[in-house]
Amino acid sequence: MNRVPRDPSARAEASHPFRKERGMDGAPSYFGCVWCHLQKDLRLEWRSRDSVVGMLFFALLVVIIFSLAFDPTAAVSRQIAGGILWVALLFASFTALNQSWTREQRNRVLDAQRMSPAPVSALFLGKALANMLFVSFIELVLAPLFIVFYNLHALGEGWMMLVIMPLGTWALVCNGTFFAAMGLRTRNRELMLPLILVPISIPALLGMMQATTAVLTGEFEPGPWIRMLAGYNIAFTTACLLLFETVLSAE
Amino acid sequence: MVKRSCVFGVVGMVWVVMTLAAIAYATRLALFVAPTENTMLDVQRIFYYHVPTSMLSLLFPYVNFVSSLFYLGWCRRDPLRALTADAVAIAAAEVTVVYSSISLLTGMLWGRAAWGVWWAWDARLTSMLLLWVLYVSYLILRKLSSTGQTQTLAAVLSVFAALDVPIVYISIRLVKYGVYTQHPQPVFGGDSNSGIAPAMMHAFGWNVLGWAMWGISLLLFRYGLERRRQQSEQASALKAIEGSLEIVQ
Amino acid sequence: MQAHHLLASYLLVWLIQGGYAAWIVWQWRRTGKELQPDPADLSPRDEGS
Repeated sequence: MNRVPRDPSARAEASHPFRKERGMDGAPSYFGCVWCHLQKDLRLEWRSRDSVVGMLFFALLVVIIFSLAFDPTAAVSRQIAGGILWVALLFASFTALNQSWTREQRNRVLDAQRMSPAPVSALFLGKALANMLFVSFIELVLAPLFIVFYNLHALGEGWMMLVIMPLGTWALVCNGTFFAAMGLRTRNRELMLPLILVPISIPALLGMMQATTAVLTGEFEPGPWIRMLAGYNIAFTTACLLLFETVLSAE
Repeated sequence: MVKRSCVFGVVGMVWVVMTLAAIAYATRLALFVAPTENTMLDVQRIFYYHVPTSMLSLLFPYVNFVSSLFYLGWCRRDPLRALTADAVAIAAAEVTVVYSSISLLTGMLWGRAAWGVWWAWDARLTSMLLLWVLYVSYLILRKLSSTGQTQTLAAVLSVFAALDVPIVYISIRLVKYGVYTQHPQPVFGGDSNSGIAPAMMHAFGWNVLGWAMWGISLLLFRYGLERRRQQSEQASALKAIEGSLEIVQ
Repeated sequence: MQAHHLLASYLLVWLIQGGYAAWIVWQWRRTGKELQPDPADLSPRDEGS
């Protein structure tokens, strides 16, 4: 049972919000830092809700435009729905990714972060996880819409979508958060992100679209694509974590 | 210092002259001396430009990657030396874009003549297109990022691109749909009835040599240009600082 | 049709390679001008306060 100490400074120390995350020597643990950053982003987003609403609406508009473009019958719609889903999510995530870093520019919080002993890659990981949650939320809302608009039901193994969606989303969000950080001091930041992110993500995009199409049409195996996506995620997550500090202190 | 740059100048000139001679000879071989092929007649001579250029365009990305690694390693410890690595990196990236553009365009011309279509989503064509796209995005990052950050960000992107290239290679080959096997089977190391006729080998070999030498020349000149630009920037930065010092007095 | 393609590809190669080399030379000349000392800097400046 924790007793509240009498001494005011010790009391402040005891009730400090980061206290739970401290290790034996009092320094915050790595995942403690990640959790703090994640909480911060979730809280900020909850208060303004602009990112999520913007993403949602944009994704919906993309879906509508594609339906106008293709006018699909049920058979054809299964072939193209996978591609459209990921294109909509890709475009929607651009809006969120740029915004996620503008938060860090106000009040010079990035400088504060640099001066603190907290590991910089924890900031990246926390933010990437927050973005992952936002985009996953969009997917949950978008999925029933897709099923309705395209009269979909999966001819392959539908449960595999539960594997494909997170893997694909993480591929986009991880690299996206990293490249959005690269653009922090760039003129024309909103332009640069898609131009840099899409070429690097092409194998991942290919993988998630093909895997989704495989599940929907049941015509071929999604297995190799899922493995490729997993390999991509491992390789690029490692690269992002290792290189984030270089990017942030690139001056 | 003057002496060293004189030596470089002379060596450079000799290299360029040798390169131009090699290319002239190779072109003559390709267009006039090499035997005409049976099925495709003269159009097949595009092969003498297309294949060496494609092979070389796969080489320069590695130069970019290695020099980017050196840049990242040196940028804290030895910033001046890191700048030379950065100059090599951008030179290699631009030469990659030049060579892969030529590979794509000559390939399309050949494809139109041989298969009747300008483009096909074949494994090799798509990989080459993606290589081109990756390095164009590298050049765009260079252009759009703010000065002072450009080199480090570009080096990081180069690492990502190098990670990406093998994954692109694997993923394209996984696609079983569509016309992904239309590209002519590898001439070297293909199946038993591949292999190039010995008479053509002579012309082909000289073209590989000539275009490789040209690529190296381009790399060297672009490197020199970048170093010149770096020095010019440093000189103007120094001028600005000195100017501000005078005002303080 | 066939001869056109060969000619076109031949010209294309030289256009692109030659064009890039020419661009390098042009940029070299332009950077050279910036590196030359500005005559105005050699005389003492009168700042005035």
